[in-house]
Amino acid sequence: MDNLQEQFSNIYDEYIDKIYRFVYLKVNSQEIAEDITSKVFTKGWEALQGSQEDIKNLGAFLYQIARNAVVDHYRSKGRTNVVSVESSPEIADPNTGIHEKAVLSADISNLKNAIQKLRQEYQDVIIWHYLDDMPIASIAELLGKPAGTVRVMLHRGIKDLKDIIQES
Amino acid sequence: MAKITQKQITEQLKTLKDIKPRKEWAVLLKSQILPEQQLQATIPAQKISFLDILSSVFAPKKLVYSLAVVLFLIIGVFGFASQTVPGDLLFPVKKIAEQSQAALTGQIGIRQNVVTLNNRINDLAQVAKQGRTDNIPSAISEITADASALVKDLQNNAVGNKQTIKEIAASLKTLADVPGTDLTANQDVKNLYQTVVQSQIADLQEATLTDEQKATLSEVEELYNQAKYVEALEKILLINN
Repeated sequence: MDNLQEQFSNIYDEYIDKIYRFVYLKVNSQEIAEDITSKVFTKGWEALQGSQEDIKNLGAFLYQIARNAVVDHYRSKGRTNVVSVESSPEIADPNTGIHEKAVLSADISNLKNAIQKLRQEYQDVIIWHYLDDMPIASIAELLGKPAGTVRVMLHRGIKDLKDIIQES
Repeated sequence: MAKITQKQITEQLKTLKDIKPRKEWAVLLKSQILPEQQLQATIPAQKISFLDILSSVFAPKKLVYSLAVVLFLIIGVFGFASQTVPGDLLFPVKKIAEQSQAALTGQIGIRQNVVTLNNRINDLAQVAKQGRTDNIPSAISEITADASALVKDLQNNAVGNKQTIKEIAASLKTLADVPGTDLTANQDVKNLYQTVVQSQIADLQEATLTDEQKATLSEVEELYNQAKYVEALEKILLINN
Protein backbone atom coordinates (compact mmCIF):
# COMPACT_ATOMS: atom_id res chain seq x y z
CA MET A 1 0.00 0.00 0.00
CA ASP A 2 1.54 3.33 -0.99
CA ASN A 3 1.77 6.32 1.29
CA LEU A 4 -1.36 8.03 -0.03
CA GLN A 5 -3.48 4.93 0.38
CA GLU A 6 -2.12 4.35 3.85
CA GLN A 7 -2.89 7.94 4.78
CA PHE A 8 -6.44 7.70 3.48
CA SER A 9 -6.93 4.29 5.05
CA ASN A 10 -6.08 5.73 8.45
CA ILE A 11 -8.33 8.71 7.89
CA TYR A 12 -11.13 6.40 6.79
CA ASP A 13 -10.86 4.31 9.92
CA GLU A 14 -10.83 7.41 12.07
CA TYR A 15 -13.70 9.24 10.43
CA ILE A 16 -16.09 6.64 9.01
CA ASP A 17 -18.18 6.53 12.21
CA LYS A 18 -18.11 10.28 12.66
CA ILE A 19 -19.05 11.19 9.12
CA TYR A 20 -21.77 8.55 8.99
CA ARG A 21 -23.22 9.82 12.28
CA PHE A 22 -22.93 13.42 11.13
CA VAL A 23 -24.86 12.59 7.97
CA TYR A 24 -27.31 10.22 9.63
CA LEU A 25 -28.40 12.80 12.19
CA LYS A 26 -29.16 15.19 9.34
CA VAL A 27 -31.01 12.82 7.01
CA ASN A 28 -32.43 10.39 9.59
CA SER A 29 -32.19 7.44 7.22
CA GLN A 30 -29.67 4.63 7.26
CA GLU A 31 -29.90 4.07 3.51
CA ILE A 32 -29.45 7.72 2.61
CA ALA A 33 -26.73 8.15 5.23
CA GLU A 34 -24.79 5.24 3.74
CA ASP A 35 -25.24 6.61 0.26
CA ILE A 36 -24.07 10.10 1.15
CA THR A 37 -21.21 8.84 3.33
CA SER A 38 -19.91 6.66 0.52
CA LYS A 39 -19.97 9.69 -1.79
CA VAL A 40 -18.13 11.75 0.81
CA PHE A 41 -15.27 9.27 1.15
CA THR A 42 -15.11 8.62 -2.59
CA LYS A 43 -14.81 12.35 -3.25
CA GLY A 44 -12.30 12.64 -0.45
CA TRP A 45 -10.13 9.91 -1.94
CA GLU A 46 -10.38 11.41 -5.43
CA ALA A 47 -9.47 14.83 -4.10
CA LEU A 48 -6.52 13.41 -2.20
CA GLN A 49 -5.24 11.66 -5.31
CA GLY A 50 -5.73 14.66 -7.58
CA SER A 51 -4.42 17.24 -5.15
CA GLN A 52 -1.10 18.81 -6.03
CA GLU A 53 -0.53 19.93 -2.46
CA ASP A 54 -1.11 18.09 0.77
CA ILE A 55 -4.56 18.55 2.27
CA LYS A 56 -3.68 19.88 5.71
CA ASN A 57 -6.78 18.73 7.58
CA LEU A 58 -8.34 15.80 5.80
CA GLY A 59 -10.91 15.28 8.55
CA ALA A 60 -12.18 18.84 8.21
CA PHE A 61 -12.10 18.38 4.47
CA LEU A 62 -14.36 15.32 4.75
CA TYR A 63 -16.79 17.19 7.01
CA GLN A 64 -16.92 19.98 4.45
CA ILE A 65 -17.75 17.50 1.70
CA ALA A 66 -20.37 15.90 3.95
CA ARG A 67 -22.04 19.24 4.66
CA ASN A 68 -22.23 20.04 0.97
CA ALA A 69 -23.48 16.54 0.17
CA VAL A 70 -26.30 16.83 2.67
CA VAL A 71 -27.23 20.24 1.28
CA ASP A 72 -27.22 18.78 -2.23
CA HIS A 73 -29.37 15.91 -1.02
CA TYR A 74 -32.06 18.17 0.38
CA ARG A 75 -31.78 20.49 -2.58
CA SER A 76 -32.48 17.64 -4.97
CA LYS A 77 -35.26 16.11 -2.87
CA GLY A 78 -36.81 19.24 -1.52
CA ARG A 79 -36.23 19.62 2.17
CA THR A 80 -38.84 18.01 4.37
CA ASN A 81 -38.25 17.65 8.06
CA VAL A 82 -39.71 14.21 8.20
CA VAL A 83 -39.84 12.94 11.73
CA SER A 84 -38.76 9.39 11.36
CA VAL A 85 -38.44 6.68 13.93
CA GLU A 86 -36.67 4.45 11.46
CA SER A 87 -35.36 1.39 13.13
CA SER A 88 -31.72 1.49 14.03
CA PRO A 89 -29.65 -0.52 16.48
CA GLU A 90 -29.06 2.36 18.81
CA ILE A 91 -32.73 2.95 19.46
CA ALA A 92 -34.42 0.59 21.90
CA ASP A 93 -37.31 -1.48 20.70
CA PRO A 94 -40.51 0.23 21.87
CA ASN A 95 -42.16 -3.14 22.33
CA THR A 96 -39.76 -4.36 24.96
CA GLY A 97 -42.09 -3.32 27.74
CA ILE A 98 -39.30 -2.14 29.92
CA HIS A 99 -40.39 1.29 30.99
CA GLU A 100 -37.02 2.95 31.40
CA LYS A 101 -35.78 1.66 28.10
CA ALA A 102 -38.89 2.87 26.40
CA VAL A 103 -38.54 6.29 27.94
CA LEU A 104 -34.88 6.46 26.99
CA SER A 105 -35.66 5.34 23.48
CA ALA A 106 -38.36 7.94 23.19
CA ASP A 107 -36.02 10.64 24.50
CA ILE A 108 -33.33 9.73 21.98
CA SER A 109 -35.85 9.65 19.20
CA ASN A 110 -37.12 13.07 20.21
CA LEU A 111 -33.58 14.34 20.38
CA LYS A 112 -32.80 13.05 16.90
CA ASN A 113 -35.90 14.63 15.52
CA ALA A 114 -35.14 17.87 17.30
CA ILE A 115 -31.63 17.99 15.85
CA GLN A 116 -33.13 17.73 12.41
CA LYS A 117 -35.26 20.77 13.03
CA LEU A 118 -32.29 22.88 14.01
CA ARG A 119 -30.63 25.31 11.64
CA GLN A 120 -27.83 23.56 9.78
CA GLU A 121 -25.06 25.64 11.35
CA TYR A 122 -26.31 24.73 14.82
CA GLN A 123 -26.62 21.07 13.88
CA ASP A 124 -23.00 21.07 12.75
CA VAL A 125 -21.48 22.68 15.80
CA ILE A 126 -23.54 20.56 18.23
CA ILE A 127 -22.63 17.30 16.53
CA TRP A 128 -18.96 18.22 16.24
CA HIS A 129 -18.62 19.43 19.80
CA TYR A 130 -20.82 17.05 21.80
CA LEU A 131 -20.69 13.88 19.69
CA ASP A 132 -17.29 14.11 18.02
CA ASP A 133 -15.62 15.83 20.98
CA MET A 134 -14.18 18.43 18.65
CA PRO A 135 -12.66 21.41 20.52
CA ILE A 136 -14.21 24.81 19.88
CA ALA A 137 -10.94 26.03 18.35
CA SER A 138 -11.06 23.23 15.78
CA ILE A 139 -14.70 23.99 14.95
CA ALA A 140 -13.79 27.63 14.56
CA GLU A 141 -11.00 26.71 12.20
CA LEU A 142 -13.28 24.39 10.28
CA LEU A 143 -15.96 27.02 9.84
CA GLY A 144 -13.53 29.87 9.37
CA LYS A 145 -15.14 31.77 12.22
CA PRO A 146 -13.83 33.14 15.54
CA ALA A 147 -13.98 30.81 18.52
CA GLY A 148 -16.29 33.27 20.29
CA THR A 149 -18.77 33.01 17.46
CA VAL A 150 -18.68 29.21 17.71
CA ARG A 151 -19.37 29.41 21.46
CA VAL A 152 -22.36 31.61 20.78
CA MET A 153 -23.56 29.22 18.08
CA LEU A 154 -23.24 26.29 20.48
CA HIS A 155 -25.12 28.11 23.19
CA ARG A 156 -27.90 29.15 20.83
CA GLY A 157 -28.03 25.71 19.28
CA ILE A 158 -28.53 23.97 22.61
CA LYS A 159 -31.14 26.54 23.58
CA ASP A 160 -33.05 26.01 20.34
CA LEU A 161 -32.75 22.25 20.77
CA LYS A 162 -34.22 22.55 24.25
CA ASP A 163 -37.08 24.64 22.94
CA ILE A 164 -37.83 22.19 20.13
CA ILE A 165 -37.82 19.22 22.50
CA GLN A 166 -40.09 20.97 24.97
CA GLU A 167 -42.47 22.01 22.23
CA SER A 168 -42.82 18.47 20.92
CA MET B 1 -43.50 17.59 27.95
CA ALA B 2 -41.59 17.86 31.21
CA LYS B 3 -38.95 20.52 31.45
CA ILE B 4 -35.51 19.51 30.36
CA THR B 5 -32.30 21.25 31.24
CA GLN B 6 -29.45 22.06 28.88
CA LYS B 7 -27.25 19.73 30.92
CA GLN B 8 -29.68 16.89 30.32
CA ILE B 9 -29.66 17.66 26.62
CA THR B 10 -25.87 17.55 26.42
CA GLU B 11 -25.93 14.26 28.34
CA GLN B 12 -28.48 12.83 25.92
CA LEU B 13 -26.46 14.09 22.97
CA LYS B 14 -23.54 11.94 24.11
CA THR B 15 -25.73 8.85 23.91
CA LEU B 16 -25.99 9.51 20.15
CA LYS B 17 -22.34 8.54 19.89
CA ASP B 18 -23.65 5.00 19.70
CA ILE B 19 -24.91 5.71 16.21
CA LYS B 20 -22.50 3.81 14.01
CA PRO B 21 -22.55 2.47 10.47
CA ARG B 22 -22.94 -1.24 9.76
CA LYS B 23 -19.53 -2.85 10.07
CA GLU B 24 -19.81 -4.91 6.86
CA TRP B 25 -20.89 -1.85 4.91
CA ALA B 26 -17.96 0.18 6.23
CA VAL B 27 -15.48 -2.55 5.28
CA LEU B 28 -17.01 -2.97 1.85
CA LEU B 29 -16.96 0.77 1.18
CA LYS B 30 -13.29 0.97 2.12
CA SER B 31 -12.45 -1.91 -0.17
CA GLN B 32 -14.35 -0.23 -3.00
CA ILE B 33 -12.58 3.09 -2.59
CA LEU B 34 -9.01 1.99 -2.04
CA PRO B 35 -7.70 0.32 -5.22
CA GLU B 36 -5.33 -2.12 -3.53
CA GLN B 37 -7.97 -3.42 -1.20
CA GLN B 38 -10.38 -3.56 -4.10
CA LEU B 39 -7.88 -5.63 -5.99
CA GLN B 40 -7.48 -8.00 -3.07
CA ALA B 41 -11.24 -8.29 -2.86
CA THR B 42 -11.64 -9.08 -6.57
CA ILE B 43 -8.75 -11.50 -6.99
CA PRO B 44 -10.50 -14.46 -5.34
CA ALA B 45 -13.50 -13.93 -7.65
CA GLN B 46 -11.22 -13.92 -10.68
CA LYS B 47 -9.52 -17.09 -9.53
CA ILE B 48 -12.72 -19.07 -9.61
CA SER B 49 -13.93 -17.79 -12.99
CA PHE B 50 -14.23 -20.49 -15.66
CA LEU B 51 -12.23 -18.60 -18.28
CA ASP B 52 -9.36 -18.06 -15.91
CA ILE B 53 -9.33 -21.72 -15.01
CA LEU B 54 -9.22 -22.60 -18.72
CA SER B 55 -6.48 -20.11 -19.48
CA SER B 56 -4.51 -21.13 -16.43
CA VAL B 57 -4.71 -24.75 -17.58
CA PHE B 58 -4.07 -24.31 -21.27
CA ALA B 59 -1.87 -21.21 -21.56
CA PRO B 60 1.19 -22.81 -19.92
CA LYS B 61 0.58 -25.96 -21.93
CA LYS B 62 0.62 -23.98 -25.18
CA LEU B 63 4.02 -22.66 -24.27
CA VAL B 64 5.24 -26.12 -23.32
CA TYR B 65 3.88 -27.59 -26.56
CA SER B 66 5.55 -24.86 -28.61
CA LEU B 67 8.86 -25.40 -26.86
CA ALA B 68 8.53 -29.14 -27.29
CA VAL B 69 7.88 -28.77 -31.03
CA VAL B 70 10.87 -26.48 -31.43
CA LEU B 71 12.99 -28.88 -29.39
CA PHE B 72 11.89 -31.85 -31.48
CA LEU B 73 12.64 -29.93 -34.67
CA ILE B 74 16.12 -29.04 -33.45
CA ILE B 75 16.80 -32.61 -32.32
CA GLY B 76 15.41 -33.91 -35.61
CA VAL B 77 17.55 -31.61 -37.73
CA PHE B 78 20.71 -32.38 -35.76
CA GLY B 79 19.90 -36.09 -35.72
CA PHE B 80 19.39 -36.14 -39.45
CA ALA B 81 22.45 -33.97 -40.05
CA SER B 82 24.64 -36.41 -38.12
CA GLN B 83 24.04 -38.95 -40.89
CA THR B 84 25.10 -36.59 -43.65
CA VAL B 85 28.43 -36.56 -45.52
CA PRO B 86 30.27 -33.75 -47.30
CA GLY B 87 28.22 -32.51 -50.22
CA ASP B 88 24.87 -33.01 -48.46
CA LEU B 89 22.59 -30.08 -47.76
CA LEU B 90 22.69 -30.46 -43.98
CA PHE B 91 26.40 -31.26 -43.75
CA PRO B 92 27.21 -27.72 -42.46
CA VAL B 93 24.82 -28.42 -39.58
CA LYS B 94 26.79 -31.56 -38.77
CA LYS B 95 30.02 -29.54 -38.73
CA ILE B 96 28.46 -26.98 -36.40
CA ALA B 97 27.30 -29.75 -34.09
CA GLU B 98 30.80 -31.31 -34.11
CA GLN B 99 32.42 -27.98 -33.35
CA SER B 100 29.97 -27.34 -30.52
CA GLN B 101 30.55 -30.80 -29.10
CA ALA B 102 34.34 -30.37 -29.36
CA ALA B 103 34.13 -27.02 -27.60
CA LEU B 104 31.98 -28.50 -24.83
CA THR B 105 34.42 -31.39 -24.27
CA GLY B 106 37.42 -29.07 -24.26
CA GLN B 107 38.79 -30.30 -27.59
CA ILE B 108 40.14 -27.11 -29.10
CA GLY B 109 43.01 -26.26 -31.46
CA ILE B 110 45.02 -29.21 -32.72
CA ARG B 111 42.88 -31.73 -30.80
CA GLN B 112 39.75 -30.44 -32.52
CA ASN B 113 41.44 -30.61 -35.93
CA VAL B 114 42.60 -34.19 -35.30
CA VAL B 115 39.05 -35.26 -34.40
CA THR B 116 37.66 -33.41 -37.41
CA LEU B 117 40.16 -35.02 -39.78
CA ASN B 118 39.26 -38.43 -38.40
CA ASN B 119 35.54 -37.70 -38.91
CA ARG B 120 36.09 -36.52 -42.48
CA ILE B 121 38.16 -39.61 -43.31
CA ASN B 122 35.30 -41.73 -41.94
CA ASP B 123 32.89 -39.72 -44.12
CA LEU B 124 35.06 -40.42 -47.18
CA ALA B 125 35.16 -44.11 -46.27
CA GLN B 126 31.34 -44.11 -45.97
CA VAL B 127 30.89 -42.25 -49.28
CA ALA B 128 33.29 -44.65 -51.06
CA LYS B 129 31.60 -47.67 -49.51
CA GLN B 130 28.11 -46.46 -50.56
CA GLY B 131 29.34 -45.53 -54.04
CA ARG B 132 28.13 -41.95 -53.71
CA THR B 133 30.56 -40.61 -56.28
CA ASP B 134 28.94 -37.17 -56.27
CA ASN B 135 29.99 -36.65 -52.67
CA ILE B 136 33.61 -37.80 -53.10
CA PRO B 137 35.03 -34.45 -54.34
CA SER B 138 33.43 -32.65 -51.37
CA ALA B 139 34.73 -35.25 -48.94
CA ILE B 140 38.25 -34.97 -50.35
CA SER B 141 38.04 -31.19 -50.22
CA GLU B 142 37.12 -31.35 -46.54
CA ILE B 143 40.04 -33.69 -45.81
CA THR B 144 42.44 -31.46 -47.71
CA ALA B 145 41.34 -28.44 -45.69
CA ASP B 146 41.69 -30.33 -42.42
CA ALA B 147 45.11 -31.68 -43.44
CA SER B 148 46.29 -28.17 -44.23
CA ALA B 149 45.07 -26.92 -40.87
CA LEU B 150 46.78 -29.78 -39.07
CA VAL B 151 50.10 -29.18 -40.82
CA LYS B 152 49.99 -25.59 -39.63
CA ASP B 153 49.14 -26.75 -36.12
CA LEU B 154 52.03 -29.21 -36.09
CA GLN B 155 54.48 -26.64 -37.45
CA ASN B 156 53.42 -24.19 -34.78
CA ASN B 157 53.76 -26.83 -32.06
CA ALA B 158 57.29 -27.91 -33.20
CA VAL B 159 57.49 -31.49 -31.97
CA GLY B 160 53.82 -31.69 -31.01
CA ASN B 161 52.15 -34.14 -28.68
CA LYS B 162 53.35 -37.70 -29.30
CA GLN B 163 49.89 -39.14 -28.70
CA THR B 164 48.39 -36.66 -31.15
CA ILE B 165 50.95 -37.61 -33.81
CA LYS B 166 50.10 -41.26 -33.31
CA GLU B 167 46.39 -40.50 -33.68
CA ILE B 168 47.02 -38.58 -36.90
CA ALA B 169 49.16 -41.44 -38.14
CA ALA B 170 46.31 -43.86 -37.42
CA SER B 171 43.87 -41.60 -39.27
CA LEU B 172 46.21 -41.38 -42.27
CA LYS B 173 46.47 -45.18 -42.28
CA THR B 174 42.65 -45.33 -42.37
CA LEU B 175 42.69 -42.84 -45.24
CA ALA B 176 45.20 -44.93 -47.14
CA ASP B 177 42.95 -47.96 -46.71
CA VAL B 178 39.86 -46.26 -48.21
CA PRO B 179 39.30 -48.12 -51.47
CA GLY B 180 39.27 -46.21 -54.74
CA THR B 181 40.79 -43.06 -53.34
CA ASP B 182 44.42 -42.06 -53.46
CA LEU B 183 45.16 -38.71 -51.89
CA THR B 184 48.90 -39.04 -51.72
CA ALA B 185 49.21 -36.76 -54.72
CA ASN B 186 47.27 -34.06 -52.90
CA GLN B 187 49.82 -31.54 -51.68
CA ASP B 188 48.11 -30.77 -48.36
CA VAL B 189 47.71 -34.43 -47.52
CA LYS B 190 51.27 -35.08 -48.68
CA ASN B 191 52.53 -32.33 -46.39
CA LEU B 192 50.66 -33.88 -43.50
CA TYR B 193 52.18 -37.29 -44.22
CA GLN B 194 55.60 -35.70 -44.39
CA THR B 195 55.18 -33.84 -41.13
CA VAL B 196 53.89 -36.91 -39.32
CA VAL B 197 56.57 -39.21 -40.66
CA GLN B 198 59.29 -36.71 -39.87
CA SER B 199 58.04 -36.35 -36.34
CA GLN B 200 57.74 -40.10 -35.89
CA ILE B 201 61.28 -40.70 -37.19
CA ALA B 202 62.61 -38.17 -34.70
CA ASP B 203 60.80 -39.94 -31.88
CA LEU B 204 62.01 -43.37 -32.92
CA GLN B 205 65.60 -42.16 -33.21
CA GLU B 206 65.49 -41.26 -29.55
CA ALA B 207 63.74 -44.43 -28.50
CA THR B 208 65.35 -47.72 -27.50
CA LEU B 209 64.76 -50.13 -30.36
CA THR B 210 65.49 -53.72 -31.10
CA ASP B 211 67.83 -54.58 -33.95
CA GLU B 212 64.87 -55.44 -36.12
CA GLN B 213 63.16 -52.15 -35.32
CA LYS B 214 66.40 -50.27 -35.99
CA ALA B 215 66.57 -51.91 -39.40
CA THR B 216 62.97 -50.96 -40.12
CA LEU B 217 63.69 -47.41 -39.01
CA SER B 218 66.56 -47.27 -41.51
CA GLU B 219 64.13 -48.32 -44.23
CA VAL B 220 61.69 -45.65 -43.07
CA GLU B 221 64.39 -43.00 -43.30
CA GLU B 222 65.18 -44.07 -46.83
CA LEU B 223 61.52 -43.99 -47.84
CA TYR B 224 61.22 -40.54 -46.25
CA ASN B 225 64.20 -39.32 -48.26
CA GLN B 226 62.53 -40.68 -51.40
CA ALA B 227 59.33 -38.79 -50.44
CA LYS B 228 57.49 -42.10 -50.14
CA TYR B 229 55.64 -40.99 -47.04
CA VAL B 230 52.74 -43.46 -47.20
CA GLU B 231 55.07 -46.45 -47.25
CA ALA B 232 57.26 -44.88 -44.58
CA LEU B 233 54.25 -44.39 -42.36
CA GLU B 234 53.19 -48.01 -42.79
CA LYS B 235 56.59 -49.20 -41.58
CA ILE B 236 56.50 -46.73 -38.67
CA LEU B 237 53.20 -48.20 -37.58
CA LEU B 238 54.80 -51.65 -37.72
CA ILE B 239 57.52 -50.48 -35.35
CA ASN B 240 55.02 -48.83 -33.02
CA ASN B 241 52.86 -51.92 -32.89
